Amino acid sequence: MALKQRVDLHRGVETAFGKVIPEKEAYSFCLRTIAAFSANIFQVMRILNDDWEDRTARICETANMMNCAACSGSEGQLQQYLNAFYDEWNIPEFVDREAWIGAIWGDYGDEAEDMAGRVIQFTRNRVEKELDSCPWDIVGSEMCNMTTAMFTANFDIAAGGEHGKITNDVALNMCEARGCGDPHCRVVAERLDAFGLHHQGWLDHRGESAAPVHDTPLERRVKHAQGLRNGQYTQTFGEEHSFEWQYNWVAQMGWVWSISFPLIAIRDMEKNDGDFDRVLPIVFSTAGKNHFVDPFAREGLRAWLDIPREVGDNDPRVMGAYIGAIMGCQLVPFEWEAFDSDGVTIKVSTDDFNGRFPMAPLDEITAGYEAEWNGAVKTLVSPEWSVWIDGKDDEYQFIQIGRKIDTHMV
Amino acid sequence: MLFKDDEVARADALAVRKDSGWYRWTHDTVDVTGADSTALLDKLLVNTVAQCNVGREKYTTMLDDSGGIIDDLMAIRLEENHWWLSTLYGPQMVRWLGEHAEGCDVAFSDITPEIDMFSVQGPRSAEVMDKLLDAPVDELKRFQIVDASIGGISVRVDRGGFTGELGYEIYCSRSDSDQILKLLRDADSRELQTLEVFVRSLPMEKGMALRQDYHHLTPFEANLGWSVHLDKKGDFVGRAALEKAQEVGPRYAFVGVEIERESYEDICQNEIVRKRGIPVGKCRQMIYGYTVGKNIGYAIVDPKRCPLGTKVTIGPNDSPAVIVAPKWC
Repeated sequence: MALKQRVDLHRGVETAFGKVIPEKEAYSFCLRTIAAFSANIFQVMRILNDDWEDRTARICETANMMNCAACSGSEGQLQQYLNAFYDEWNIPEFVDREAWIGAIWGDYGDEAEDMAGRVIQFTRNRVEKELDSCPWDIVGSEMCNMTTAMFTANFDIAAGGEHGKITNDVALNMCEARGCGDPHCRVVAERLDAFGLHHQGWLDHRGESAAPVHDTPLERRVKHAQGLRNGQYTQTFGEEHSFEWQYNWVAQMGWVWSISFPLIAIRDMEKNDGDFDRVLPIVFSTAGKNHFVDPFAREGLRAWLDIPREVGDNDPRVMGAYIGAIMGCQLVPFEWEAFDSDGVTIKVSTDDFNGRFPMAPLDEITAGYEAEWNGAVKTLVSPEWSVWIDGKDDEYQFIQIGRKIDTHMV
Repeated sequence: MLFKDDEVARADALAVRKDSGWYRWTHDTVDVTGADSTALLDKLLVNTVAQCNVGREKYTTMLDDSGGIIDDLMAIRLEENHWWLSTLYGPQMVRWLGEHAEGCDVAFSDITPEIDMFSVQGPRSAEVMDKLLDAPVDELKRFQIVDASIGGISVRVDRGGFTGELGYEIYCSRSDSDQILKLLRDADSRELQTLEVFVRSLPMEKGMALRQDYHHLTPFEANLGWSVHLDKKGDFVGRAALEKAQEVGPRYAFVGVEIERESYEDICQNEIVRKRGIPVGKCRQMIYGYTVGKNIGYAIVDPKRCPLGTKVTIGPNDSPAVIVAPKWC
């Protein structure tokens, strides 16, 4: 047999030092960075509002409203929106697609976000979704509740009793894991009329289901979603979406549901004007400083990015390579303007950096990462170095890693 | 609770196998009319539908240019130049017809939003139908469709279904759905609750597959070689690819799998099938068969490596399974 003509091509993200992070690993890292950003935002929320029930109810209401708004408009416009969705996924009429679109939406979102599990039952009056693992547990239980509000919206926009109104026609219960730490989660949706159930409030989603659950035994559960397991997602009706599609979806929509929607409620929780803008950088800066306090964390990063030993520990390129890896794995295009021992400059379009999903740009991404990276560089490289972003209001912004004396470092 | 312990689903399944059961099932329906309708369908479908008499139906497949199955469907001849096509996704079929209808005297549309459909299945289904209908249809032949009336409401009734049992399908206007629904609920027949039972469990036990099971396979690979008559039929979409496929031989075998564990619940579509750790194919779907009492499924596998009886594993938890013929009862 003749030798191969060349090495097989592998897709991945190339680091500043030429190492390729394989696509699946890059996707997992991307997911984790978004979840971590969301976790920081939720910490801001907890500082602004110390009442778990109040803040949970408020982000639930906002997430529900925003999900509804995503396909608001006239009845005709809504139908057009839904038809496009049915079309994309080849969803036939025979399943009462309007009735259970929430489950269909939810399942591909869960799978894209590597919340591994399955729609274990999909019937006329009942949908049961089982999650075996959830990398989003680091965010907090407010988010678990928030997703039930999103599900409710998705059910109601398509199948609600009255167009444009939230009618809550289903009872949704997280009847297993009711917070973080329990890896196995189960959400059951049951039609109120079929099961004789009552309308729920935002904090009532932790009850039991009316009908018995279908349990997947422990030894049969999965650790990762279909994309990582099998290379694509296949939904109930057989329509396949590639891993590439899944990765792209996460890099856009992950920022919307986990950060953009909650932020609307969180900004509104500040008791005094300016509290949010003051607290956010403090939280992100602290998180950044703690990234690399352990010596093995820095060594681990060097190994992961294949940073050569010629590049010393007190070299801004270490931090530059780290930021480059984050942006590369988050699928943000950028250019290196400078990359040497005197400093690093990364040029990135402000629209690309903040507008991961173009319809919902987030200035908080710039604010959060500027604080987080400025904190991280102190422990990853040394306190001699700072990270700041120039041109935040311009077409392009420049992420700078340079020596800076900061007399008021927070 | 494992699916085998689901008593509601079990009662649904056994009603259809031993008595009768009904459910609302609306496969999408595409209406095709016009002087060239039959010629167009003969160009797009593997079987020669021109041979189908008015009032009768033919099971066939629709291929893409590579010979891969886009959909398997019933072509229902209502009049000389008037057809209904059953499909699991009408908008896609309408687009496909549009791509091939240039210059044809033909009109087609997805009429799924206008019509509704109910399926009455099981050995006692004829008795249930005769009580429902204004005139009995127990003489109806398999794959025959007639105009009928239920409580004064005009309907179409055909003898067929997707359970492998004696069964009938009632087509009505959506505006009459509520009345038909009420009459069915008053009939002496079980209303099925569990979608999985009538979409997957009952059909799979009898070897009936969904569109997604056959997707991208040639008819030869999907065990539908009997429907291909290259010597008797002229050109049709996918013919050239089928001729080549026949020469080369099948890339895949469409087989049954039986899970040798208590549950199948971790196995989704396209989970990888391995033989001694080496990928040899992909699972299509799994379900519990309430009649046969087994966890059963379909898979597409390398035909050379996986003859019947081959031991394989499926999915990330290495669920042990054996390759069997894709029909259980």
